[in-house]
Amino acid sequence: MNHTASTPRPAAAPALGHTLLKLIPYAAILAVALVLPFIANDYWVLIATRAAIYWVLVSALNLVVGFAGQLAIGWVALLTLGAYTTSVLTAGTVLPPMPLLVAFAAAAVVGALAGLLVGLPALRLRTFYFAMTTLGFATITTQIALAWQDVTGGGIGIPGPWLPSPFDNALGFYLLCLGLAAVLTWMTANVARSRFGRGLVAIRDAEVAAEVSGISKPALLVAVFLFSGAAAGVAGGLFATLQSYISPEAFTFDLSVLFFIAILIGGRGSILGPLIATIVLTWLPEFAAPLVVWSTFLYALLLLVIVLAVPGGIAAMLDFGSRRPLARDRAVVPREELLGALFTERPASSAIVLKDVVLSFGAVRAIDGLDLTIDPGEVHGLIGPNGSGKTTTLNVICGFYKPDTGTVRVGDDVLKPGEPQHRAEVGIARTFQTPRLIGESTVLENVMVGGDTSGRATFAEALLNLPRNHADEVMLRERADLALRIVGLEALAGVRADRLQHSELRFMEIARALMLQPRFLLLDEPAAGLSGDEIARLGSLIESVSRHGVGVLLVEHHADLIFKICHHVTVLDLGRVLADGTPDEVRTHEDVVSAYLGG
Amino acid sequence: MLPAILASGLAMGSIYAMMGVVYNVMFSASRVMSFTTGQLGMLGGVLGAAFVGILGLPAIVGLVLTLACCALVGIVTEVVAVRPVLDKLDQHLYVLSTLALALMIQQFVAIEWSTEPQPFPQLIGFGGGGPTDEKFWLPVLACAVTVVGLELLFRHTLVGRAFLAISEDNYAARALGLPERRLRMASYALAGMIGGLAGFASGQLLLAFFANGPYLNFYGFVPVALGGLGNNRGAIISGLLLGLVQQAAHFTFGGVFTSVAVFAVFIVALLAAPQGLFGQPKQRRV
Amino acid sequence: MRITRRGFTLGAASLAASTTLARPALAQSEPIRVGWLAALTGPSSAPAIGFDRGVHYATDAINAAGGVNGRQIELVVRDTQGDPTKAVNAAQEMISRARVHAIWGPTNSGESLATTPIMARAGVPNVHPCFVDALIDTKRYPNAFRMAPSNTQIDNAVGDYGVKILGKKKFAVIGDTTGYGTTTVKSSSAAFEARDSEVVYAGTIEQTQPDVTSDMLRMKNAGAEAIAIWTVSPGLISRILNTRANLDWDVPVIGHPAMGSGEVGRLVDKPENWSNAYILGFRNTSYGDDGKLPDHVQAFVDKIKSEIDLDDTTLWWILDGVDSINIIADAVRETGTTDPKDIIGYWNAQADYPGLFASYTFSPDQHNGLSPEDLVMSEANSQKYGAYKLAPGYE
Repeated sequence: MNHTASTPRPAAAPALGHTLLKLIPYAAILAVALVLPFIANDYWVLIATRAAIYWVLVSALNLVVGFAGQLAIGWVALLTLGAYTTSVLTAGTVLPPMPLLVAFAAAAVVGALAGLLVGLPALRLRTFYFAMTTLGFATITTQIALAWQDVTGGGIGIPGPWLPSPFDNALGFYLLCLGLAAVLTWMTANVARSRFGRGLVAIRDAEVAAEVSGISKPALLVAVFLFSGAAAGVAGGLFATLQSYISPEAFTFDLSVLFFIAILIGGRGSILGPLIATIVLTWLPEFAAPLVVWSTFLYALLLLVIVLAVPGGIAAMLDFGSRRPLARDRAVVPREELLGALFTERPASSAIVLKDVVLSFGAVRAIDGLDLTIDPGEVHGLIGPNGSGKTTTLNVICGFYKPDTGTVRVGDDVLKPGEPQHRAEVGIARTFQTPRLIGESTVLENVMVGGDTSGRATFAEALLNLPRNHADEVMLRERADLALRIVGLEALAGVRADRLQHSELRFMEIARALMLQPRFLLLDEPAAGLSGDEIARLGSLIESVSRHGVGVLLVEHHADLIFKICHHVTVLDLGRVLADGTPDEVRTHEDVVSAYLGG
Repeated sequence: MLPAILASGLAMGSIYAMMGVVYNVMFSASRVMSFTTGQLGMLGGVLGAAFVGILGLPAIVGLVLTLACCALVGIVTEVVAVRPVLDKLDQHLYVLSTLALALMIQQFVAIEWSTEPQPFPQLIGFGGGGPTDEKFWLPVLACAVTVVGLELLFRHTLVGRAFLAISEDNYAARALGLPERRLRMASYALAGMIGGLAGFASGQLLLAFFANGPYLNFYGFVPVALGGLGNNRGAIISGLLLGLVQQAAHFTFGGVFTSVAVFAVFIVALLAAPQGLFGQPKQRRV
Repeated sequence: MRITRRGFTLGAASLAASTTLARPALAQSEPIRVGWLAALTGPSSAPAIGFDRGVHYATDAINAAGGVNGRQIELVVRDTQGDPTKAVNAAQEMISRARVHAIWGPTNSGESLATTPIMARAGVPNVHPCFVDALIDTKRYPNAFRMAPSNTQIDNAVGDYGVKILGKKKFAVIGDTTGYGTTTVKSSSAAFEARDSEVVYAGTIEQTQPDVTSDMLRMKNAGAEAIAIWTVSPGLISRILNTRANLDWDVPVIGHPAMGSGEVGRLVDKPENWSNAYILGFRNTSYGDDGKLPDHVQAFVDKIKSEIDLDDTTLWWILDGVDSINIIADAVRETGTTDPKDIIGYWNAQADYPGLFASYTFSPDQHNGLSPEDLVMSEANSQKYGAYKLAPGYE
């Protein structure tokens, strides 16, 4: 208790002042942008318009690159598509001329579909492969624009769309772009703060943890690729309007590099950082016109320096909070009595039943005909020497491995093998041997990820921050706050997870698992690296959790802990059950004594 | 016309195959794929043209100097763009660091060398431009030298076996007491030399042109993706096939649609078999 | 920097001189700011580098002679790198920030297409050397004047030469995959077909394509009697010339002036591969059998030979650069103001304005400066101080 007293700030619902503080830089940038036309000439308005248009694209691409960590380096292809779509449709060279709004809507649709097309390989391909495919797509788009002369005008190009009054002059058009940029900033910020934003970052930094939390990588990536594609399409239409004439050579790879690098220099997972970087990179070649020859070289150098020296980018440099030292003599003190508030109703009383499970890796039988039952309300210990198949068993239950034969059931339902993202739905939560943390997110955000399946709002609702999304956020925040208080980490809620000690990460993972209000909790060596005191507190927390009707599967090496808190112990050896029974039965089992406990 | 297709197809295929081997050699030593791969090929051509064409050095001296410079670029890649991010492999920072370095190399060459393709001198004097021209057979010869050289290195030398051990399992190799860091630098130097050799041998075909890098990057990556990462045999076979198919398509269709078709096939093949057509075991995730 | 400093000192000297001519108003003594939108670096920088020499030569010459009505010419140069995005920024900067009185450039079509509407909106007098027909539209862009041939004029000149002078009936028309290449293949084919000849093969080749044997075989098999080629890439051109020799297929190659650049000369396997190739050229920059250019051009070349490097560029670029500054300077000199309307009005009234590169003729509804007679073909391998030998068959 004394530790919470020393840090009075509550974890949930950050103070209004704190939110306002975060808004100051955005408000300042917007204010400067609004004043600019009245103090500067058309040239600066043009540069600012360009920055605003680029930001419309970059802000949405930021969700793909900065949040989801997908290295889409050829995004200029979508700008190209949007530019040509609006220009071709308003000119009426192919179809009858269309109203401007229809043309821009079409650009958004084309962009969204193309975004999906470019993005889909990301679901199957590794990073470098994906980067290469986006690059290839960018090349192909330009070549098609060149070759398809009847529509695109080939290399000569076509005039861009012409906007009606009041947007037909520099000032009006600038304000339109600025407005759109502001709206996009708001939308992406909404997503970033929602469970979708946290899910994207989780996919980036801790994909496995995201999966067990029930986050569907395909669904989430499809959503952001559609959104980023649509934004890029609209940006393309604005770009074509600004350029007044487009030809393939306007869509250089350098432009793609600018978009991509702006995000990374700005900082992954940040919005303000990429915004500042976009403005600076748009303006820099104008400021240093003699350097224009070297501009791409300098961008590249900047990228290298950022990657090597400040991987967090501008955002990390501005993140003064993370440099404040943490209290050194902090201890994790769980408060089990709060569990009642989390488990308001007792989970249904069916068991996880593994029947005759066999799993081989090549010639090695990692699990060899395993039967196992995890009853609700009990702590079930799973012990055995290294390589006996403990973690593999966990992974079979969680769906990471498909067993060669055998089934995993909960009650009457057979759990589909190989689909880890569907385990959260049935109430199975787990922790990992090596904690899977999302290092750049706060502890609170790390924990909130665990409750993803409780969210009701769709991605579109999150974009616009509609009431259901707001309700989700309040609910998840309250629950995460509760979970953190249960494990005793509430004082560290606002701290970046990568600043935590190892033992604290173990408790953070438990809090994340509790977010699910699970029926079953699978713990993979939760006591590893913990001090004696901490192990005792952990043991007592686990017992309390089981008393609320949760079935706990505990994989552990600490025999003392196992025999102290387990209702039931299974001993594995070479993928087979060596012994099974109450702690007392197992402790005295001959084979166990000779093979494992070593007398 | 069949001889013409075969000659140019095998020549281009050999270059793609060698670029694929460059990717693989770097990957085996470090689990990293580098965007500088194509730039090594580009540098081979540009440096060769500078040493032999402009400075007028004998071809063999020019070749040795080119290989030395490319080996150096390989080592610089390792030191600057790979080693610092090796401990964060899962964050894929290497994609960014090598992309940055590749862009810097390319821009530097564009500014300091030329943005126009420059001629590459004839090396042996066996010209004529027909299917027997040296410009077609030098890349094939270089590819053969690479294949035989790597085979000899891996099979018959201690260093080569150490390379193989590292590519099998970094940690185990280190535990065995192999000098992992020095071997990694050596691999990057070796990769640099293979890339430089490819560029040098194909100089007359591709000319000394600063923008060859991205082209070789992409077309050199296709054999890697199809042949399976780290699989040199797969890369060589896929590379040669790619060259033949591409040149045949150029003959049949011509124009931009060949590259569109190559790209489409690449994507479809990758999506159908993400581990490459020659297979590769799936990695454990948890 | 060099320019501005000299401009300043000379400007001071000319101020003193101007008092004797009793020209009071302060606005009349400020420098004439000429914007020069140049792709000085990047992949398509060769023409701008050539123009640049002429621009600086003419500016220095005028300023050294006391300026225009006592006013110095001040160049405002921005490197666009051939990128339309940078060109738009640069054009707006010249208009809004540097407040230039006239603009020369940009030098390639992609940039020009994007900047022309911006300049038209601001009404700034603009002369440029870009070929695309759509750039000249006296209704939409009354401020824009062309001091170079249009694509239609070029297509016609090449078509006339191939059909009427060479007497060929079947043509292969090829270009690179850039915007310029793809578009010109189409328009050039139309020009041949309009002259009752047949285009038996039309296609594009990537600039980086290492081997063009397959493309050439297809042309040959289609029965082409001559090849028209539209690319600025010396690499591609030389590959085509080399392959033509390798295939023992001695058909004339006609087309873009880039075929005459020294780089092609260095890229061809044998010097003779470069013969039987004809490029678009101009009357004023073509020498005859006697090796002489038209008198006034020859006099100019003799004068500048020692000052300007002519061998690594093309003469017409330099001459056009000189003409561009002169026609701006003359407009200010004759009208006495830098008012955009007056400058444009002066240009609109020119008939046979005597330039070095050509005699330009403009009227309020005709802004293409050159006449068809200015365009001729030259021998590709005949470059001498940036000029070419007139192709056989002309008077």
